Amino acid sequence: MSSARNYDSNKGVSMALRPNNYPGKLLIVEGIDGSGKSTQLDLLHKWLVSEGYLVVFTEWNSSPIVRATTRRGKQRRLLTPVSFSLIHAADFASRLYMQVIPALQAGAVVLADRYVYTAFARDRVRGLDREWLRRLYAFAVEPTVAFYFDVPLDEAITRILEGRPSLKFYEAGMDLALSRIPSESFRLFQGLIQNEYDHLANEYNMVRIDATLQLIDQQQLVRQIVGPYLEGAIRLEKTEIQDALMAHRLGGRYLEDMRLRQRSPK
Amino acid sequence: MSAPKFYGIRPPGIPNEPLPGRLIVIEGTDGVGRSTQIALLREWLESRGYAVVHTGFRRSDLASQGIQRAKRGHTLDPLTLSLFYATDFWDRLERHILPALRAGMIAMVDRYIFSLVARAILRGVPRDWLEDVYGIALVPDRVFYLDISVEQLLPRIINTTGLDYWESGQDYLRGPDLYNNYIEYQRALLAEYRSLAEEFGFQVIDGGQPIGTVFNALQAGVEEVIAGMTPPKGDETKLNPEDSPGVEDSARIDLA
Repeated sequence: MSSARNYDSNKGVSMALRPNNYPGKLLIVEGIDGSGKSTQLDLLHKWLVSEGYLVVFTEWNSSPIVRATTRRGKQRRLLTPVSFSLIHAADFASRLYMQVIPALQAGAVVLADRYVYTAFARDRVRGLDREWLRRLYAFAVEPTVAFYFDVPLDEAITRILEGRPSLKFYEAGMDLALSRIPSESFRLFQGLIQNEYDHLANEYNMVRIDATLQLIDQQQLVRQIVGPYLEGAIRLEKTEIQDALMAHRLGGRYLEDMRLRQRSPK
Repeated sequence: MSAPKFYGIRPPGIPNEPLPGRLIVIEGTDGVGRSTQIALLREWLESRGYAVVHTGFRRSDLASQGIQRAKRGHTLDPLTLSLFYATDFWDRLERHILPALRAGMIAMVDRYIFSLVARAILRGVPRDWLEDVYGIALVPDRVFYLDISVEQLLPRIINTTGLDYWESGQDYLRGPDLYNNYIEYQRALLAEYRSLAEEFGFQVIDGGQPIGTVFNALQAGVEEVIAGMTPPKGDETKLNPEDSPGVEDSARIDLA
């Protein structure tokens, strides 16, 4: 605005996020579609729970308050680069204040499937100014560890296209008019995003994980890296349920599902 | 006609082409008489051959329902609400306001970004952040601010809508005393409007005056803004939908 700062003078300046001064830990994963980041986060989640940590999971575009509007925008193709960016920021803010920050205050380990870097990469590809995006998300808490799952574009594309009959309009980046063919548009779109991620990974000191490694090897790396940061996170005392699970040699898979559903009602 | 000016940088998707229309904004707190004055201004301008598009908060196709739903809940932080409103604002700017301006019409906007900024500041959202986010807003040709005192406002509100939950700041002020919260909230809100008026050069009109007097003041101001504009009625090219693809939509929204 008239009193606003001069955007141009700030070009190239990296803007840090808000430091995490809470007792909890924030672990986030990023990567293009098909990089396997969600699988790795899921494995990490199970491990942390088995280690007795209080774990809270949050994923991109899932706020119970905002999600319906985003869906409406996507279904009706109402979203343009700016409204796409703003509505995702609203979703992020809602989850940050309702899920992430209270959990960090309580000393939990918060796992986030995609974080602000997803917006930095995607919205930049959609033409938004990178400084504006960083200011938009200036309220975000800095992750304790941010993982970037680095995968060759072709491999990621194959993984996605194999498991899916058709791509959605915005998912394939069709709004960018890169190609009329959805699969081709998707490839070009993901390539552009990957290029942005590559810069972001350096700018924000993200931990790169070679996503072509065996699942189990990647997970081992992730746990090794996370381990030292867990100090100070609270651990739950053994509960009756845990005792019962141990006594009957059960893993508690469905109990965990139930707890997840309670946290983010679909 | 000059290239469109934005408070921050020009957002993507907006061509850097001159806009022949005019963007007129009426700001002011609830009950100050914005709707009445806009109704009068529209009729007056239309009778003189100008095409007017009218838009206000929560009228976007994209976000209006979502905001309404969200405000019914109990867990809405001010930042999420701000971003929700910013989405609504942008959708209207892109779909209602800009097409009208491209087509040489007058866009009459009932509260632009400033009411959003003032409300958010009261709820603790940092001013700098709001100014950054709303850097995407097109600078209006003029912002009229209808000012009023809480004392003058109260009887009007009691007499019409009654005290409203949000307009009394009940979401962040303590206690069940709606009357006192209303006064406290509106005092703070009016102070914020006045500071924005100074910072962004609004034309301030005393909204406590009789309706006719306020209208005359607005007319004089609008007259300056539209000076040099051709009423689009006599100009076939500007009303040709093929030349200006936003006209049809905007006209329909105007009727809704």
